[in-house]
Parts: sequence; C-alpha cells; structure tokens
Amino acid sequence: MFELTLQAVYSGLLAGGWYAMVALGLALVFGTMRIINLAHGELVLLAAYVAFEMERSFGLNPIAAIPVALVVVGLTALLVYFLIGRIRHDRELNSLILTFGIAIVLTNVILMTWSADIRSTSVGWFMDGAVIADTLFSMNSEVLFFGAGVALVGGTYWWLNHTWHGRALRAVSSNRNAAMLMGVNPARVEAMSFVVSAVLATVSGVALYTASVVFPALGHGLTIKAFVITVLAGLGSVPGVLLGAVILGVGETMTATFAKPSLQELTGMVIFLLILFLRPSGLFGRKVVGK
Amino acid sequence: MTLNTILRRVAAGIVFSAVAYGGAAQAETFTLGSQVPLTGNLARVGTGMHEGISVAIAMANKELGGKHEFKVSTIDDESNPAKAVAAVEKLASEGVVALTGGYGSNIIGPASEAAAKSDLVYITSGGVAPELTHRDLDTFFRINNSEGYGKAMLGLLKDMGVKKVSVIYSNKEATDAMAKYVEEGLKEAGVEVTTHEFDASTTDFKSIMNKVKLRDRSDAIAMIGYENDYVGILRAASVLKPEAKAIVGVWSLATSQMNTEFHDLVQNVYGTSLLPYPVKFSGDEAVEFSATYKEMFGKEPDYLGQFGYVQTRLLIDAVVAAADKGEVSGKTVAQELRSLKADTLIGDVAFDENGDNPNFSHRMGQHQGDRVEIVWPEKAATAKMNFPAVPW
Repeated sequence: MFELTLQAVYSGLLAGGWYAMVALGLALVFGTMRIINLAHGELVLLAAYVAFEMERSFGLNPIAAIPVALVVVGLTALLVYFLIGRIRHDRELNSLILTFGIAIVLTNVILMTWSADIRSTSVGWFMDGAVIADTLFSMNSEVLFFGAGVALVGGTYWWLNHTWHGRALRAVSSNRNAAMLMGVNPARVEAMSFVVSAVLATVSGVALYTASVVFPALGHGLTIKAFVITVLAGLGSVPGVLLGAVILGVGETMTATFAKPSLQELTGMVIFLLILFLRPSGLFGRKVVGK
Repeated sequence: MTLNTILRRVAAGIVFSAVAYGGAAQAETFTLGSQVPLTGNLARVGTGMHEGISVAIAMANKELGGKHEFKVSTIDDESNPAKAVAAVEKLASEGVVALTGGYGSNIIGPASEAAAKSDLVYITSGGVAPELTHRDLDTFFRINNSEGYGKAMLGLLKDMGVKKVSVIYSNKEATDAMAKYVEEGLKEAGVEVTTHEFDASTTDFKSIMNKVKLRDRSDAIAMIGYENDYVGILRAASVLKPEAKAIVGVWSLATSQMNTEFHDLVQNVYGTSLLPYPVKFSGDEAVEFSATYKEMFGKEPDYLGQFGYVQTRLLIDAVVAAADKGEVSGKTVAQELRSLKADTLIGDVAFDENGDNPNFSHRMGQHQGDRVEIVWPEKAATAKMNFPAVPW
C-alpha cells in the first residue's frame, strides 16, 4: 500500500511538471490578451513532430532538435498572433472561433505531412528506467523534463517579476491603457507573450515525444488539460499553474491507483468543477470586484 | 405527318434513349460508398482500411474487364459518429449501391442504421462489438468479430498454462466487450483474472503496472487496446519490470510497423496476426493483392489493408451477382452476401442471419527479432513461441 501510494504521488508529480509547462504557455497568452488559444495543444504537438522529423531525417537527438522546433513553433505562434490581431470586433469571443479553426488546420497539416501513424523517439536512453531507492520508478525522459518544466516555470516567474519586459507584460495584463500611458507597446508585449508561449510549447512538445507517443489527434486533449490548469491556477498566477498542474497530475495517478484508472480523466474534471464552484477566481486568482 | 405526331415521336425517342442509356449505365458502372475515418483518433486504422478498399476496386475492375466497372466515393467521418451518419446519408443521396468501410463499433452502429434506412448494404471489418449483429438489421455485414480475436487470445493463454492473468483494457466499446469475453473464458478455464480498465486518453500506465507488479503478481499480462496504448503499457512494464512470463495483446500489435518502429519494446510480445512478417503470400489472389498493394502504396500490405480488401471484394461480388440477376438493391445485395461461401485472404467467410461471420478465427503472432512469427495455433505455426519471455 505504502509503495503504491509513493509511486502514485511520484508519477503524479512528474506528470504535473510537464502539465505545468504545457499550461503556462496558454496561461501567459490568456493573462496578456484575455484570449484562450485553442490551438496551443497543436503547437505542442507540432514541436513533437518537428523533433520526430529531425530524428528520422538527420538522426538528430530530440534535445538537439529543440532549436529547429522552436523556430517552426515560434513562427507558427506569431502567425496565430497576427491572425488574432486582424480581429476588429469582440476579440475574446471571435478569437475562440479563430484559434479553434487554426487548431483544426494544424491537425490536418500534421496529418497530411506525417500521416496518422503513431510516433515516438527511438533513442533508448529516454525510455530507460530511472529508479530511486528501488521504490520510485520512472523513465529518464520524465525526470529530465520534470526538471526542465520546473526550471522553465521558475524562470518565467523570475522573468515576469524581475525584468522590464516581464513587468511590461504584467502591466498590459493588468491594465492595457495604463500600460500604454507608461510607454509600453501592448502589441509588442502581446507578441512576446506568444513567443514565450511558443518556447514552453516547444520544450513540452519534445518532452511528449520522448516520454510518450504522438499522433495527429492528440492536440485537442492537451489544450483541454492546459485550460483546466489555467482555471485552477487563477488568472496570471505562475505558482498557481505549477500547483494546479501537480494537483491534477497527482489526482489522476491516485485515482488510477486506488480507484479505477478509467476514472482518472473524470477526476481532473471534478477538481476543475470544485474549484470553479468554491473559488471561481482560481487557487491564486484575485477576486474581481464589480464597479 | 402532323406536328403533333412529330412531337410525339421525338418525345418517344428521347424517353427510349434515356431508358436505354440509364439501363446500360446501371449495368456497367457501380459506385460504392465508403465512410471511413481518415482524420481524428482513428485516422491510422481508417487509412489502412481505405487502402485495402482501393486495392479491391482496382483488382475487381481489372478482373471484370469492362463488363462492369466499380468506383468508390469516400467521405471522411473524422472518427465521429454524428459525422459518420451524415456521411452515409450524403453517400445515399449520391446514389451509391452499397457501403464499405467504417471503423469503431460506436461509429459503425449509427452509421449502419442510417444505411439500413436508405436500403443500403453496409459491410465492415472495423466493428467487432457483439451488439452490432444483434440489432435485426438485414443490411449489416461484418467479416470479423471479437469472438475471433478472443478465441485466439484465450487459446494462446490456455496453451501457455498460466494460472493468473492481468487484463488491462481500454474503456471503448469493442475493447470492453473483448475484455469481458476474455475474462469469462479464462475464469471458465480456472485461471485467476484481475482487470484494469483505463480511459482511452491515458498515456501514463505506471500506476496500473505498479498494481500489476505489487498486487496482482500475474503470470501473464493481456492488453486490449490500440497501438498507442500498447506502447504506453509496454514502456511502463519495461520500467517497472513485473514478474510476468508473457505479454499478450490483440489487434494492431503483431505488425511489421510495430516491429520496425518499436523494435526493442515489442520483442517477445504476442498479438493477433493472420500472416507472419516478412509476409509470404501464397495463392493467386493473395499474390496479386500483395503486388497491387505495393504498386499503389509503395509498401507491404498490412492486416488493415487485407480486411478492407476482403470486405470490399465480397461486396463487389455480391453487387455483380445481383446485377446479373437484374436488380441491384439493398435487399438483393444482402441476399447475395448471405448466400456466398468464400475462401478469402482472412480465411473462410460465410454470413449468418445476423450478418456476422461465425467462421472468423484469428492466429497469434509473436515478435521474434526482426520477424513476426505465427505461434498459435500449432497447425499454422511458423515458429515455436518464446515462452517464458518478455521484452526487458
């Protein structure tokens, strides 16, 4: 029983680190532009497929493929940003429809380019076991990208709080007009949030490729998971994203271990609804007071 | 000749020409409808089946030598039941004579009911749930079923003499039905069984595998899911290393693609397989199928292509037989399908009153190095099974 619990918590923690990376990209864009980028999961998937292509065509290790994936995903993210910028009316609602459409297009581009076959890395090291004290089991890739996830989330938190660009992003998120009066260019800041989101999507996509299998229909589920964590976290809270992701990860693995594995997705949704009911502004979100 | 008479003769001529042309067209060119998932979760299997359908059309047209010609009109159902129904309705409105395709029991169910409402035969190899053939649909046919897969898996596990089996299965309709069939069969044989149902979106199987390792301590692990599930389960097993003697799966596992792409991960793992890999086709039809497939798609045929081919060839034969007797309708094509007994690439096919093929039974293959060898039943075996043996 004790071993089962330890392993469930450990697996959930590792999953949470990766979930946080996926969700933080979505949360950043949501925080800055009040836009839910429904194509975010497809950006993660695109990075995974670029890593696959680099490995297949040039024998490149997935880690070494990150710069190439970053260029492809970054440009795609900027294209999404450009298209959203064309929306003149009711941006919050219309951007949902637009990004949903972009997600479908990206899924089909991936499908046509790389077919519907499942893909995963053939570099054995990523799948080798990393065993701690003969009790905690994981793959090397999970430990590696858990560390990368925590580092990226921490780095983003530091960047948002201790750099001019980060503070500008928070200023736009807080009050766009006031930020403009202080000399911040909101369009540039919004574009930057998309680029940072692309960096997070790239690393999480490569992590996905090394630890799991990818196929074209996967993106939609990633977006939903990221959205759930964003709501759990509360608007604009980086620590909230990490905590929300870990709660979701551990909740899923505990359900799989002590209840039924088939209920683990339901657990995520139940946590989501509970938070919405008990703390509508999220775990770390501030209450919005009506004027 | 009055103007009235001239007009009457011209009108009669037009009517005669239209009838004659229409009759000739009906006798020569038939369009089959195909609703398959080419995008979405089932895109991989749908694409494989569709390749087999295309090969069947090409081979039939060559064989019929102009007497009849077949075409296929395809609509992607996007792995979605509602879109599958819309696809069937659209194909029916286009005047297709019958339907071949479909993947996923939950999609085939409503799609085949829509076909029945339009009086169209619907034939598939993509839905194995038992409920599909218990709906009193006269126009529904399938060439395979969960019993065929289940019998093979049960037969292998019984021959291994294992005492305890952990069944890890996806909560989809077909896999759930198959898991229950296997569980009951094993229990009847006195084997202790534990089951672990997982959601189709699960990617991390370590929690399940840890239960198998610490609680179940089974002799064998039976996986009932799809390619991505197998890879996830096998990776979790490779990390946790439970004390199992064998890992057995069903469809989409003992394939050339899995052997190539996940070579180390699938070593010694079993799955249903009609033919060994590298494939050795024997018989004229099989050799021609293989050659046509390679010519059209530039790769070796897989089991999905085989099934898609067989279901479509049977349908084409039934349409031709009905046409030769003077009427092509849902009723006559269904009658022809019910009356046939065919020796096909997947074995004997004969349909019962429910449209099921009770002759369907599978074989079990095992990944052994660069090959997939048939190891069960003994009479069809191409090599001895490696037992006990696991990938790690």
